[in-house]
Amino acid sequence: MKILLVEDNPQVSQFVRKGLAESGHAVDHADNGRDGLFLATTESYDAIILDRMLPGGVDGLGIIEALRRTGNTTPILILSALADVDERIRGLKAGGDDYLTKPFAFGELEARLMALFRRGQTTGGETMLKVGDLSLDILSRKATRAGKPIVLKPREYKLLEYLMRHAGQVVTRTMLLENVWDYHFDPQTNVIDVHISNLRQKIDADFERPLLHTVRGAGYRLSENA
Amino acid sequence: MPKVLRSTAMRLALVFAGLFMIATLLLGGLLWWNTAGYLDRETDAVIAADTRAIGDRLRDFGLAGAVQTMSERIAADSDGRAIYLLTDPRLRPLGGNVDAWPLKVGAGAGWYEIELVHRDRLHVSRLLHVVLPGNFQLLVGRDVQDRVEIRNLFLRGLAWAGAAALAFAFFGAWLIRRAVEHRIEGINRTATAIVQGDLARRVPLRDADDEFDQLVATINRMLDQMQHLIEGVRNVSNAIAHDLRTPLAETRARLETLLRQPTGTEASLDGIAAAIADIDRLIGVFNALLRLAELDSGLRRAGFARVDLSALVEDAAELYAPAAEAKGITLTCETEAGLGVDGDRYLLAQAVGNLLDNAVKYTPAGGSIRLSADRQSDGHLTLAVADSGPGIPDAERGRVTERFYRGDTSRHAEGVGLGLSLVEAVARLHGGSLRLDGNNPGLKAVLALPGPA
Repeated sequence: MKILLVEDNPQVSQFVRKGLAESGHAVDHADNGRDGLFLATTESYDAIILDRMLPGGVDGLGIIEALRRTGNTTPILILSALADVDERIRGLKAGGDDYLTKPFAFGELEARLMALFRRGQTTGGETMLKVGDLSLDILSRKATRAGKPIVLKPREYKLLEYLMRHAGQVVTRTMLLENVWDYHFDPQTNVIDVHISNLRQKIDADFERPLLHTVRGAGYRLSENA
Repeated sequence: MPKVLRSTAMRLALVFAGLFMIATLLLGGLLWWNTAGYLDRETDAVIAADTRAIGDRLRDFGLAGAVQTMSERIAADSDGRAIYLLTDPRLRPLGGNVDAWPLKVGAGAGWYEIELVHRDRLHVSRLLHVVLPGNFQLLVGRDVQDRVEIRNLFLRGLAWAGAAALAFAFFGAWLIRRAVEHRIEGINRTATAIVQGDLARRVPLRDADDEFDQLVATINRMLDQMQHLIEGVRNVSNAIAHDLRTPLAETRARLETLLRQPTGTEASLDGIAAAIADIDRLIGVFNALLRLAELDSGLRRAGFARVDLSALVEDAAELYAPAAEAKGITLTCETEAGLGVDGDRYLLAQAVGNLLDNAVKYTPAGGSIRLSADRQSDGHLTLAVADSGPGIPDAERGRVTERFYRGDTSRHAEGVGLGLSLVEAVARLHGGSLRLDGNNPGLKAVLALPGPA
């Protein structure tokens, strides 16, 4: 993937560039808003990581609005030191696709980037999601594995749909809390793990080959391959 | 002491009224002594001198001398106020200008003030009755009708003045009481606001530069100092939280890189994952501290909107039910439908989440947790989480919302003691409160929130 990073903090940008390079991505970096906007409009990227507060006369929201006005739909992940929910909403309203509060774990950033990139690829119009022999019919809201129906509670359905839409990618607990439950804090209790293990019971227990994997230190991945 | 007298302002006011009355009475008395009283004393002195003179005459020149002196004095008395009567021991008149011995003057010598017909007028007269040698009875006096009238006038004036003084005294007392209460009320209101967490509140000054303003200025200086100290402590903890988050995130990133390297053994990878989990907990603590600072600043109130509390509570129950079930705990949820509250949805969700976190953490297997939300008859909304865990001893209940406080029962459990502080801060931000009750056994945490405006 080709990624543009617009971030003025040298430590953060070094940490992100290094991590992305290690994962095999090409990264362009701008340390101010003006250069960032220039690169974003002249080059083509798979995703943009954008700091909310930037020097150089154009701040993060300004760049997003400028890009969206010209019809540029590159997925944008906003980074911000402001944990405020209002800030988050403002960023998403301006046209950002996701919002991550500093400090963040690199795994979280990468998982979210992949999710954004994937969202950019899919049309969103499909009515049937498939991972291996597991399939989910969006219209009738029915799940089956190897032809056998799986009975899901409403929230389990939402959880499975999210996992299937991000099949093959790591999704973090925070991503699940935000997107499936719309919660923006980290519970002390392992609530997500229990939901996952209940879901795993339904989709994996009776089958030889597990689909829902735990990724150590990061989160979960739904995929055919372990 | 009756309740009304327990008010300092009322006591001050009554003392003021009392002193004002005493001063008025003293002034009246002094005026009396120097005017009407003076005239009375003058009259008495003249009468006494007259009596002595006639007595001397009787002794030196006999009865005829005394009668002659009286006649001379009567003749010399141009305005006809002088009264003289000399009688024999059987009260038969021997001389003077009164026809008969007045019945109201008894046998005893002494001062009388009686109404007497004199020169065909019934007037109040001041009389001195003395018994002279030979048992002659002498009555000397003055017509004091004018003086009595003046005196009555004076007394009436004094009574009016006294009544006015009494009215002024009570009016003044009322003013004092109101002024004192008004000033104290300002201090009281400010102190209440500060207790509720508004550290920036100050007692308003009146620019009168009086004792109250001096007191208020001192109190405000004390509050400045207090706020400065508290903010200092908070700033230090915020700075620590803020500055440590970045190196922690970097450490975490390094560990993550290690985790992705295929060379590690299973044991070392598990160790690295555990270290990452520890770091996540630390970052969580710092985030909670920063969130608390944000809540204390009250800035979040700007983003308030109508929140469906019923749905929020049901969602929370749904999120936590599997975790409770996995521990062998039954979680039930009873919510009144359609409860609305003006607030911050995410913060309220976090508050409920924290309460449920605690309940799941402390309730033993086989126990139960009951989550409920109701509208009270006074319009308040209550959101309660009741568990059957060990509860919190009465002595500790007041302290568990303090930051980093850990009771004996929770000492060995995971966590750092910020959860209830956060819940309380969220409640306060919403103008509500957090109450911790016993649940026999267990704990019942009740979040009271004001109903929607």
